[in-house]
Amino acid sequence: MKKVIPVLIFILLVFTCIPYTKIFASDHKQRIYDFAALLTEEEIQELEALSNKYSAKRNTDIIILTTKNTEGRDVVEYMEDFYDKQALGYDQPYGNTAILTLDMEHREVYVAGFYRAEKYLDNDRCEQIRIKITPDLSSGNYSKAFYSFIKISYRYMGIRPGMNPDNPFFHWMFQLFISILIAGVSVGIMTYNTGGKMTVNANTYLNPKKSKIIQSWDHYIRSSVTRHRKPSNNTSSSGGIGGGGGGISSGGHSHSGSRGSF
Amino acid sequence: MVLHYKCPNCGDDMVFDSRSGKLACHSCGQKENIEDFPNEWITAHFSDKEVQEYHCKNCGAILLTDQDTTATVCSFCGAGVVLLDRLSGDLAPVKVIPFTISKEEAMQAFKSWCKGGILTPKGFMNADRIKNITGMYVPFWLYDMKSKAEVNATGTKVRTYTRGDYIYTETKYYDIYREMNLEYMKVPVDASEKMNDELMDKLEPYDYTQLKDFNTPYLTGYIAEKYNFTDKDLLSRIKSRIEQYVGAYIRSTILGYTSIQYKNKRIDIEQKNASYTLLPVWMVYYDYQQSEHTFAMNGQTGKIVGKPPISGKKVAAWFSGIAGTTFLLLKIITWIIGGGF
Repeated sequence: MKKVIPVLIFILLVFTCIPYTKIFASDHKQRIYDFAALLTEEEIQELEALSNKYSAKRNTDIIILTTKNTEGRDVVEYMEDFYDKQALGYDQPYGNTAILTLDMEHREVYVAGFYRAEKYLDNDRCEQIRIKITPDLSSGNYSKAFYSFIKISYRYMGIRPGMNPDNPFFHWMFQLFISILIAGVSVGIMTYNTGGKMTVNANTYLNPKKSKIIQSWDHYIRSSVTRHRKPSNNTSSSGGIGGGGGGISSGGHSHSGSRGSF
Repeated sequence: MVLHYKCPNCGDDMVFDSRSGKLACHSCGQKENIEDFPNEWITAHFSDKEVQEYHCKNCGAILLTDQDTTATVCSFCGAGVVLLDRLSGDLAPVKVIPFTISKEEAMQAFKSWCKGGILTPKGFMNADRIKNITGMYVPFWLYDMKSKAEVNATGTKVRTYTRGDYIYTETKYYDIYREMNLEYMKVPVDASEKMNDELMDKLEPYDYTQLKDFNTPYLTGYIAEKYNFTDKDLLSRIKSRIEQYVGAYIRSTILGYTSIQYKNKRIDIEQKNASYTLLPVWMVYYDYQQSEHTFAMNGQTGKIVGKPPISGKKVAAWFSGIAGTTFLLLKIITWIIGGGF
């Protein structure tokens, strides 16, 4: 019985490491709107398949929208109008949607979330996503950036709102490292203690009747004070002008968001 | 001179009985108080010439002894004998803690200890290859030490606080002084060359309320040895141990500081007294896979020390078990606080 338990735990461990590979039936919904023609036909198909898979898992459409001509509108406005016109949403028209908009005309990027995605991808998380994909956008690796966008949005939407999704605690490598460390230390202590422990200490043989402190003082001498400026909390450094926030589309749909140039 | 106790009642050999703490006869159950036995032999003088050969008073056979043996069991007739000339004069022990654990109890305790070994190989846990178990009085010096310590140190207390746009770090410096007298009583150091020091140190503590004035009947039926090192020989060993104790005590009186830097630390240690004492140890010799493992058991408290063999398989099983459980637990925590992914 003693041997069975570790084996059982090991099997469970293996299972938790295997990513869920359940694939939902394709619904032939378009999620990649590449009006700026940045992707090859092959890349579009790959991204469609990826988005299809992850959208289903989070019950939220993960949309990519690119344009060369916003017809004079701002990138946010362009995205809002597109959402209203297309009635996007996984669960219903005008429903859960995470959307990445690329305005090639003004070289601006906007990450936004509607409904469930608004809750899970709040302004801060939108910004974190945008900062992560901006380097790829700047260097023209659009396909790679879109791929990252789908994966990261999917991951962030699995983490309860209000938590920092980049907390190392959530990373399985970190967790594995901690597990191995704890196991190593425990087994080390167990091995060390097999030979018997030293159970006497400095007080075992002390004769309290004849031991005493004759003199003792703790005199304050001086103080020294140093000061330094508080570190500022400006995190948006990469990706050019950053910031933004959400808004409400003219159709009345509220969303979160973060914009920047690339 | 060989000492050998005969039952005044039936004439059989008498040995020390760990249960009653008396000299007992196994044949008729006669028990005698050891405190009542005469001990004038302690001051007796024997010829300076080292006796090379002892004969059992019971059967006349030659007793197999080495030069340190002070008590043994005749290998022919099984009578417990005491070699008196090696226990008198300078070699007379002052105190003794008699065995309170019998051979059967020691065997039983050792077996259950083996069973409880969570990292030992399965074959070892059966404890079926115990080669020998020997009750042994090991010579120790019990030191009474006094020490005088004087330290001067600088301590700092660090506090950080925020005012406006700045973080302030305030460091307060203190002059610390401690002067103390500390005394330590009956710190044991084993005086036998054969015994592993580390093993013997780990056997501590002994219960000193059971400490008795030495008398030879305590040794009957056991092996006993005389010391190889005098109390002066072992002084440096005891001093370094006391120095650690004093250091720990000093440290425990300096509290509440972020950092402590000693400017001056003077510890004088002096020996007040050292008494030659025999302490009871069960030595267990265990053959496992062509190698002998030695274990020692405190003959008074039953504490067992010694390195058992380690099973690589069990270590691996525990390692993966703990790592797996922790990982799973972390996954579950992640899932609870952050939602699954």
